[in-house]
Amino acid sequence: MKALNIVKKLTALSLAMVLATGCDDKLNDPLEQRVLVEDTDYTKTENMAQLITGAYELLYALQWETFPLLSVRGDDVNAAGDQFPLTETDFFRYDRSFWMYNSTWLNFYDDIIKFHATMEEIEKYKEFAANPATADQYIAEIRVMRAFELFQLARLWGNILLPTSSQTDGLYTTPVSSFEEVMTHISEEMDAAIPLLPNVRPNQRTDIKGGITRYTALAVKAMANLELKNYQAVADATGAIISSNAFELYPDFYELFKIPGKLSNESLLEFQYSDFGQSSGEAEYYLHAFFGPNNWTPAVAGSSGGWGFWEPTMKYIKFMLDRNETVRLETSVLFTREGIQRIQEDPNYANLPAFVSNTTRDGDVIGRTDNQPNPRAIFSSGKHYLPSNQLTPGRTRYGENKNFLVIRYAEILLMHAEALVNGATSTVMSADDAVNEVRNRAGLPDISGVTLNEVLNEKFAEFGMEWGIRFYDLARYERTSELTHDGRTYTPAARFIPYPLAQLDLLTQLNGN
Amino acid sequence: MKKTLRSYLKVLPVLLMCALAQPAWAQSVVVTGTVISSEDGQPLPTVTVREKNTNNGMTTDMNGRYRLTVSGKDAVLVFSFVGFVTQEVVVGNQTTINITLNPNVSELGEVVVIGYGSQEQKDLTSSISTVKTDEINKTPTAQAMQALQGKVPGLQIVSSGAPGAAPTVRVRGIGSLEGNAAPLYVVDGMFFESIDFLNPADIETISVLKDASASAIYGVRASNGVILIETKSGSYNKQAEVVYDGYYGVQVAQNVLKLANAQQFTEYALATGSSADAAFIDNAFQRFGRSRINPNVPNVNTDWYGQVLETAAPIQNHSLTVSGGSDNTRYSLGVNYFQQDGLLKSTRNEYERLNLRSKIDFDVNENLRVGGNINISNGTQYVAENSVWFKTYFAVPILPVYDDLNTAATPVRLSNAQTLGYRGSQNPMYDLLYNDNRNKIGKFLANFYAEADLIPDRLTFRTAYNYSYSNINSRNVNFEYSDGVTDFQSSIRRSHATSFNQIWDNYLTYKQNIGLHNITAVAGYSFRSESTEGLFARGTELDPSPSRIQEELWYISLADVIDQGGVGDFGAKTYGSSYFTRLAYNYDDRYLLYGTYRRDGTNIFQQKWGNFFTIGAGWVLSEENFFNLSGVDFLKIRGGWGQLGNAGVTPSVGAPTVEQRFLAIDGVRVPGNVVIPTYDYVDRWETTEELNIGVSSRMFNERLSVEADYFQRDTKDAAVTIILPLIRENVRRSAAGIRNSGIEVAMNWSDELANGISYRVGGNFATLNNEVLTLGGPQYLDGGQAEFRQRSIVGQPLQAFFGYETDGIFQNQNEINNSGYTAEFINDSGIEPGDFRYKDQNGDGVIDDQDRVVLGSFLPTLTYGFNLAVSYKNFDFSADFQGQSGHSILNRKRGEIIFTTDTNIDAELATNLWTGEGTSNKYPSAAGLRKGWNQSMSDYFVEDGSYFRIQNVRLAYNIRNKTVLGTDIPDARITFTAERPLTVFNYNGFNPEVANGIDRQTYPIPAVYTLGLNIKF
Repeated sequence: MKALNIVKKLTALSLAMVLATGCDDKLNDPLEQRVLVEDTDYTKTENMAQLITGAYELLYALQWETFPLLSVRGDDVNAAGDQFPLTETDFFRYDRSFWMYNSTWLNFYDDIIKFHATMEEIEKYKEFAANPATADQYIAEIRVMRAFELFQLARLWGNILLPTSSQTDGLYTTPVSSFEEVMTHISEEMDAAIPLLPNVRPNQRTDIKGGITRYTALAVKAMANLELKNYQAVADATGAIISSNAFELYPDFYELFKIPGKLSNESLLEFQYSDFGQSSGEAEYYLHAFFGPNNWTPAVAGSSGGWGFWEPTMKYIKFMLDRNETVRLETSVLFTREGIQRIQEDPNYANLPAFVSNTTRDGDVIGRTDNQPNPRAIFSSGKHYLPSNQLTPGRTRYGENKNFLVIRYAEILLMHAEALVNGATSTVMSADDAVNEVRNRAGLPDISGVTLNEVLNEKFAEFGMEWGIRFYDLARYERTSELTHDGRTYTPAARFIPYPLAQLDLLTQLNGN
Repeated sequence: MKKTLRSYLKVLPVLLMCALAQPAWAQSVVVTGTVISSEDGQPLPTVTVREKNTNNGMTTDMNGRYRLTVSGKDAVLVFSFVGFVTQEVVVGNQTTINITLNPNVSELGEVVVIGYGSQEQKDLTSSISTVKTDEINKTPTAQAMQALQGKVPGLQIVSSGAPGAAPTVRVRGIGSLEGNAAPLYVVDGMFFESIDFLNPADIETISVLKDASASAIYGVRASNGVILIETKSGSYNKQAEVVYDGYYGVQVAQNVLKLANAQQFTEYALATGSSADAAFIDNAFQRFGRSRINPNVPNVNTDWYGQVLETAAPIQNHSLTVSGGSDNTRYSLGVNYFQQDGLLKSTRNEYERLNLRSKIDFDVNENLRVGGNINISNGTQYVAENSVWFKTYFAVPILPVYDDLNTAATPVRLSNAQTLGYRGSQNPMYDLLYNDNRNKIGKFLANFYAEADLIPDRLTFRTAYNYSYSNINSRNVNFEYSDGVTDFQSSIRRSHATSFNQIWDNYLTYKQNIGLHNITAVAGYSFRSESTEGLFARGTELDPSPSRIQEELWYISLADVIDQGGVGDFGAKTYGSSYFTRLAYNYDDRYLLYGTYRRDGTNIFQQKWGNFFTIGAGWVLSEENFFNLSGVDFLKIRGGWGQLGNAGVTPSVGAPTVEQRFLAIDGVRVPGNVVIPTYDYVDRWETTEELNIGVSSRMFNERLSVEADYFQRDTKDAAVTIILPLIRENVRRSAAGIRNSGIEVAMNWSDELANGISYRVGGNFATLNNEVLTLGGPQYLDGGQAEFRQRSIVGQPLQAFFGYETDGIFQNQNEINNSGYTAEFINDSGIEPGDFRYKDQNGDGVIDDQDRVVLGSFLPTLTYGFNLAVSYKNFDFSADFQGQSGHSILNRKRGEIIFTTDTNIDAELATNLWTGEGTSNKYPSAAGLRKGWNQSMSDYFVEDGSYFRIQNVRLAYNIRNKTVLGTDIPDARITFTAERPLTVFNYNGFNPEVANGIDRQTYPIPAVYTLGLNIKF
């Protein structure tokens, strides 16, 4: 009886063991919720479309510090507020430990490495694609994005690394390319991309409205060649854009930078954001708060102001007043009461046009109204301002739903003129006509026999606060006296900023460059 | 086949018995008697009474009586009972032998819980520390592990002050860079990552398996140490006992950091020379007026910590337990309620937990025992926005809490620093008033076992099924409000995650004593599965707008907009399969041998299976004939070596991945796939090898006990994060080797004096040396934030703070010129008096990356604790102390100035800034604080984190055997406890306990004062 018991127990025991150990094959179960690239079915070529939109996501997801670091050093704008790295950089006092340097470096390079990864994936689809040209077009679009970001990196740091694939292991030994090599590389890349890209204006694209087209690539090519002072190439590239007759200046300069100006016929490259027309919830946006006035009384109460970090210079404002600028000044600068008083302290500017007001034409009152000082900025950037009455009702974030203009037709026209006054030739348009087309939109009369100075002044007036265009113009021509303003001294040695310390630690070849 | 097996099994026990039984030829004698306890004079049931060296024996009945026929007058009776000293009596001419057993004051005979079994303390070859229920319950906390702080050498506990938050626990340093290096918790056989849900009073013992030879039986989960928790059981043959145990007390924030007051702040802000800062102050004059005491300071002086901190936050705990047992059943049932308020005002910040448990063991017959254990825990935690701590630190003191001029602020006219020109609203009250974050945490733990003696007293089979079901239900609500500048819409987010884990253990235990050879062998199999699934969703613009008085309307269904990007789900499944065996052998309690082997499989890694071995040996010198050291009662040398695995590292896919993101194209939300080309490659668990050598000794009639250990623990294939060039994604690789080594010593002295005073004094300390052995090629790896670099360098501690060494402050231009820096460098760097002087480590006249050195580690090199306990008549007094030193804290709050300057600073800094020659050699000038030069990572930001603390002081009064008006009143105990009444440290922060050494926003650790009552009915 007892033995029988033991057998029962033993049987139960062995059964238990067998049952339990039968679970061992569970060890081969895959991990949950992981989408692996290696599991991709490359015959489903329609999935390529999500890769190209993924690349646009990278391009548009610009971290806020990137733009100010690129653009702060010109005589058009001051770093206001308490961002020490930015104000120091504005004064040409650089420090490789500044967090913004490392962050901006990574913002661009991180995109570039992922652009390579995306292009490598699209190549794998191409084999199976019914229309391989689509794959080629996508790759060409990403090459333009990559070139645009390399262009910005080189403008900041001069000599940089040119990654050639998504594999980072090789970067430790990648030699540093000189500024000229980078710009030449960009130009060549654009030549390769141009034939593969759609021959339409970006807002005419039906698959990705506002996406990159042949003209975007031509624009990037022109910008790179301008840095190389390769003026004929600039004239040819800009001439090709102008002669397409695809583009026109948006008639209302004020609204160009606001909701009505989204994806206009002037736009060659534009970062797109949206609140999708909803009063709350999901939204894609750029952090415009950086630019906004830190005190305001919006027409729509409860709309958020900004940080007051981006202040047009007094020099720029007086320059514009001297030129009798109207809509361009009104659009570029938001005035506080205190700011207006400061302008008027100079007897030459005691009488100001009516549009110089602390109330915008949309009824937002900028700055303090109690005669107290505005602690950060007495002026704010109007180009990065969205009137509170253009916000989708319910939304309160400063500038939400606003796009970010990157390359516009006005820049093409003025680069064309700049190339011509530097000796290039063009059959498409004269320097005078190019400059006057821009002036006419701004409500200014024609001029003739334009000089380099006049072209640069026109660019100053047209592109204040935009992408550091002014600084890079002056730096290129080594116009140290114009950059030496308001207590800062510019020398050509200050053209490029130092490599971030975190990168020097990783990439020893950067030492000494 | 079956028949053969059956007959064999029938014969086997007989054979074994024959081998051991002595021939009984002498004249037999019947002996009777009663066994009582010396503790209370009560009879002791179930005491084993055995004739020595025979198989002849029985147990005492309910009244402690026995009757045994022995072989003759020479027979020796052995009386043994768990928890009592075994006694031997020669029968001689006696026929009645009454015995009084003394409780086992010696721990040597105590049974220590080890994995899948138990062992006597004296037979251990490894390092195991056990803490018992009395010790655990001295600490008024919901977190049992908190009670171990300072009590177990080699165990580092980093407290957390937030209600319901578990402390960080480290066993012998950090052998892994991931998962907080948290140990494995095994609660009655079930694996947990934390025991935050357990009621400390339900725990009988906590055993910390510190070295590999102890914990290796848990294989792939054991590398950060194993902590075994046994919950309380009832006792056989004991009348039901009902115990109430509870306390009520208050928590008081300690060491509240002093921030600059309005005057100090104003002086500092003006001294920076920043026109913006001057304008903010000017605006404050206009808005709030000037102080009548000092007209240069605005008429506001807000002490923000005073505004957000409760002066005393209540904490309470009440348990009711019923336990007892009959001949064949024992049971323990309990209910517990715990409630703790947080230290923050004006918001819901509390923790509440209700636990129910039952544990029943039933002897079906003499060879079969079954039992079950159920533990249900239901907690509700209201979490305050962590940003409150950050904002409170930084809010400027010239801002009032309320501002009637801020008319657009609704529903309450809170002040807003933006009205003065500051970038943010700063006022922490927004984060207190306008949100509510709740976690509901339900845990259901059950286990059932059956244990059968296949061969009585020899071979036992145990099968145990452990089951744990838990769900975490989170709800975060943000209310609609306006700060006077910006309107904020309401939103609600809910997430729900359920986890279901199970472990099925089956194992055989074989025990045999052959002469002086004692063998215990265990072999078994364990299967484990863990799965989690969850959902989350978010809605905005609730209609009606949520408010605290209408909590019943906080539902996503009432939101106008469902946030597309805020909806999703997640899941994880892991499996583990293990075969294990253990052999413990001792010869005459003199020579000890121990070994385990575990073969562990898991689906987490590409490497599916691993083998983990351990061996241990001990030599009890005091049992040797030649041993003749007077005063030494027991001396054992022991050593062990073992391998462990750490599957706690996050597995990696080892291939590029695709990440879906969203973007706007022409106002339409479209998905985009971003290819992430870099990837983690962690294809194996981390393996740890540990050597442990120790000495155990008892001296002076066991009044002094000493345990000392040396350990060296090496982790191989540790997953490390590698910063790649040009891409933000860092990758993890199985590349690092890490060594932790140290010495642990624990000494305890206890004695009773003639006048009835008994006392106990104890102390322990542990050293820890953490060192990177290899990084798989490179000599260093960077970690931490780029601005606050932490670097792991071969030969240095893991993730050591890395930067410049300061050498005072430049007092004048002359000092700068004679600094040894080159003239060119001085010119380029723009150094001024009032700036830091950095040590030019390589003497090249230039301060650059070559001059950076290791500034400290967040791991303490020394942890220590000591305690004192005195009992006199009905009074008990005890005091515990603990501390640690050798570690550094990154004062990240001071570092925040790199990113945002328009904030307050701490009073120590504000009042000791350099203001001219000779004023400070420690802190730069106000203007200097904002210069890049002074913001470089340096030892200015890295401070000494050493502290010493009075951990626990307790006074208790016992009421025993009292009658009031002729009626017996139940035994009771009244206790006053002061937990952490004093902490001493130099660090310029709230709290020197910062788990990862980076103090950005840390919940303060409060002192707790409680009054407790324990009644036995």
